[in-house]
Amino acid sequence: MLGYLVALLILGGIYALLTISLDLQYGHTGLVNFGLVGFFAVGAYGSALVALAGYPIAVGFAVGICSAALLALPIGGLALRLRDDYFAIVTLGFSEVVRLVIVNEEWLTKGGLGLPGVPRPFAQLGVGGAEAAYLALVVACNVIVVLVIRRVVGSPFGRLLQAIRDNETTVVSLGKSPPGAKVRALVIGAAIAGLAGALYAHYITFVVPDQFLPIVTFYVWMAMILGGVGRLSGSLAGAAVLVLLLEGTRFVRDLVPSVLAVEMASIRLILIGLLLIVFVIYRPYGVFGSPSRQ
Amino acid sequence: MDRSRRQIIKQGAGLALVASLPSAVTRALAQGGETLRIGALNPVTGAGSPYGGGMQKAIILAASEINALGGVGGRKIEIFAEDSETSPEAGVRAAKKLIEVNKVQALLGTWSSGVAAAVMPLTDAAGIVHSTNAGASNITSSKGLMFRYSGLSVRVGEALGRFAAKRGHTRLATMAFNNPSGREITGGAKAAWEKLGHQLVGEVIYEPNRPSYRSEVQKILAANPDAIVMGAYLPDFISILRETRQAGSNVKFYTPAWTVNQSLIDAVGPKATEGVYVHDYVAALDSAAFKSFVDRFRKATGIDATENYYACCAYDMMVVVGLAAEAAAGKGALQDSMRTVANPPGDVVYDFAQGQKLLKEGRKINYEGASGPIDFDQMGNVKPLFKLSEIKDGKVTMIGKVFEDY
Amino acid sequence: MNTWSFYANLALNGLVEGLLIGLAALALNLVFAVGRFPNAATGDFMTVGAYAGFGAHYLGGNIVVQSGAAMLAGAAVGLLSYFAVFRKLAGRPMVAALLASIGLGFVYRSVVSLFAGHDPRFFPMGTVSAINIGGVRIRDTDVWLAGIALLCMAVALAVLHLTPVGRQMRAVADNAVLAQASGIRSRRVMFALWAMAGMITGVAGLMLGIRTAVSPELGWGMLLPAFAAAVVGGVGSPAGAILGGVMLGIAQELSTPWLGFSYKIALSFVALAVMLLVRPQGLFGQKEAVR
Repeated sequence: MLGYLVALLILGGIYALLTISLDLQYGHTGLVNFGLVGFFAVGAYGSALVALAGYPIAVGFAVGICSAALLALPIGGLALRLRDDYFAIVTLGFSEVVRLVIVNEEWLTKGGLGLPGVPRPFAQLGVGGAEAAYLALVVACNVIVVLVIRRVVGSPFGRLLQAIRDNETTVVSLGKSPPGAKVRALVIGAAIAGLAGALYAHYITFVVPDQFLPIVTFYVWMAMILGGVGRLSGSLAGAAVLVLLLEGTRFVRDLVPSVLAVEMASIRLILIGLLLIVFVIYRPYGVFGSPSRQ
Repeated sequence: MDRSRRQIIKQGAGLALVASLPSAVTRALAQGGETLRIGALNPVTGAGSPYGGGMQKAIILAASEINALGGVGGRKIEIFAEDSETSPEAGVRAAKKLIEVNKVQALLGTWSSGVAAAVMPLTDAAGIVHSTNAGASNITSSKGLMFRYSGLSVRVGEALGRFAAKRGHTRLATMAFNNPSGREITGGAKAAWEKLGHQLVGEVIYEPNRPSYRSEVQKILAANPDAIVMGAYLPDFISILRETRQAGSNVKFYTPAWTVNQSLIDAVGPKATEGVYVHDYVAALDSAAFKSFVDRFRKATGIDATENYYACCAYDMMVVVGLAAEAAAGKGALQDSMRTVANPPGDVVYDFAQGQKLLKEGRKINYEGASGPIDFDQMGNVKPLFKLSEIKDGKVTMIGKVFEDY
Repeated sequence: MNTWSFYANLALNGLVEGLLIGLAALALNLVFAVGRFPNAATGDFMTVGAYAGFGAHYLGGNIVVQSGAAMLAGAAVGLLSYFAVFRKLAGRPMVAALLASIGLGFVYRSVVSLFAGHDPRFFPMGTVSAINIGGVRIRDTDVWLAGIALLCMAVALAVLHLTPVGRQMRAVADNAVLAQASGIRSRRVMFALWAMAGMITGVAGLMLGIRTAVSPELGWGMLLPAFAAAVVGGVGSPAGAILGGVMLGIAQELSTPWLGFSYKIALSFVALAVMLLVRPQGLFGQKEAVR
């Protein structure tokens, strides 16, 4: 039982990082990023490939994070020139192109076969110890990221981001530079998503392109909206709800055995869709968020 | 049309019966008595969904039949069924739940190579048997806990390549769905073809879910092949076959069993399916175990097992584990008895009842299952016996050649 | 080997695929222009239409009945989406409607799979040899598809330019505030919009289902190419949508000898991005704020 809960906490922590990443980009800066999973994938593959080549896992993590961040630069360039909905579509396309490249550049990524045997850290601690240590790693990453984001959001740069989100023309007239700020927000967010990807790859120990479909991006959007846009505690809460949703439906079946697993999968997706719709209509700021951030 | 309507109605009625099976089985645990806890982790949703539901029901059916006989050595079987969603992450979460919460003693029925690869470290760490249908050759257990009930995709491809050679073709091309299964099949065909001293005239890899494969077909036909080996699935094969025939080509196709069923023949028409050769597993269609299973499965679930080879494998997975547990009977680990009950030499048995009876008499048995002879080699792979069928006049007819030398 | 007929066939393949994409883009475009947001549930509307058409086929209906069923289902789903969800988001930032449409897509897709299962269904099409004109092959289903696509385009254009409600739609597309001020009843305009867009997506879904297979994931794969076609053709231009789809389809297939079968898909994404940067109104659309 404990092992199962630890696994859920680890995955929840990874989703939390993704939610925080998206929240920085959308919640604080107003960038409608529908391609989050692309940065997630780059972080996962970057770290996995480096570690499988024999380098220390820490190096792998660094490469994963930096690759994701670098990839955000051209996307940031696009963000400057495009309105919300077009940016959303283009980023969606971007994440699919990333997946296409991963599938087809087999000399590097083994394509659809995936990369098995991604090394796990803490192997010397035995099975139970390694899991606990990994959880500690994930929690530590979350803590660090939360602290960093808090500082970013509270800084002048952070206030600039919110001003951009709320009224960009005013910002320009005040002589500030939105473009640079937007790109920086995107890059920082991408780095966090890359970190989440690296943590994911080394936990599941197997990366395959099918894990990086657009649905993951929309899971995170749902988590962010549910938990509360523009608020860190909201991101954490949203990620928790997401994992609960993904796993909870399993136990509903134990209570109502006549419902088949096939139906459960459909019901789960219906729930996610409905939650998205309902929260967008009635509680766009989520459970913890608020319309005005002071 | 009538047939499928009846099938759907029967399926609905059968579903109600089988839907109640899990609870019936789980509530069969004797209070204070130990049960044999088995995890069924199958692709009920996702890419494997055409097979996963049937696989899960087959495992449940086998367990309920064994329990009706009194269980394994007096212990009832308790099935914990989960959906892998044909996704490694979902598979890992489900496996964690099965291993950590339900404490299963064996995990049966993973299908996708991705799920099997991600779950194998977990089952290895827990020291439990992992019975799978995944075809990728890089799926192995470091502790001898993996048992693969279907052929490696590479072997399927090799068989297809060799069939094409035996039938006198000289210009072979391959078309592969861009995923491990498709690629390994055509990879195997290519290797077999080259070992016989020939070269492929064309190779195309195509993406899933395209609205049309016309350009891909055009490219392969431009190389003027007389035969094409397919590493495909049903929907894309229908599309490709149709395009090929509409382009006026009578090129022969050599394709795996799961790409051919009545839906194919209905969808493209009997004229187009002339010249399609289907590779299949031999015992599947000949053995008494298969025929009996198909009947019982249809009665219980309304599903036609001849269209779901993996369900037959899943059924065998449960029976073999049951027999192995019976044979081990507290004397050793489950995995050590797997070959004892499934491999020759021994008295051939076709079902659990027979096997249990003979085991109790102290005899060595050799289970021949619904999906094949089920003889595991060193690596845990079965040695599949293949055969070739041909679609003629809209019917799949066995040509009857069997190749054993793999 | 790479004779002119080889390329002509590729182009023809692209044309046919492009018409299909163009149909979806047409509906997307209409909603984009009048409703002012990209409807990410378009693909799933297509799926519903395909299943409705398959249901009609299953009950014995011919292609006309199937198309009727698909159109009815598409319109129903479009109207339901508007009245239940999008109407409540009027006046809110466009992202809200976009996100809600994502959620709606999930709901429709999974409701379909709940009732119809995940197994793909196939239309028994039989196989007819194609007409061969100097090496270029044309199949009867393609002629059908071209006809339906052009018909839909003609109907859309006719409605927009020849009917009162169509004129009102164009007014709302040009300037929603002004349209409201001049007394245009948005309820009626929106009803017509979503019914029309729904019908077109429904029939597009049926066409796609007939050519491939009817499954819950059917429409989702069309979404990105349809977006690309809508943007390339120009938001607000029905003819632009079809032409955008056709151009992208042809370019995609012609690029195959160089890009291969896997990367050709990326072409429409690249075209989308480039078009937005270089000429945001698309080829035939009106100039409007992309930034």
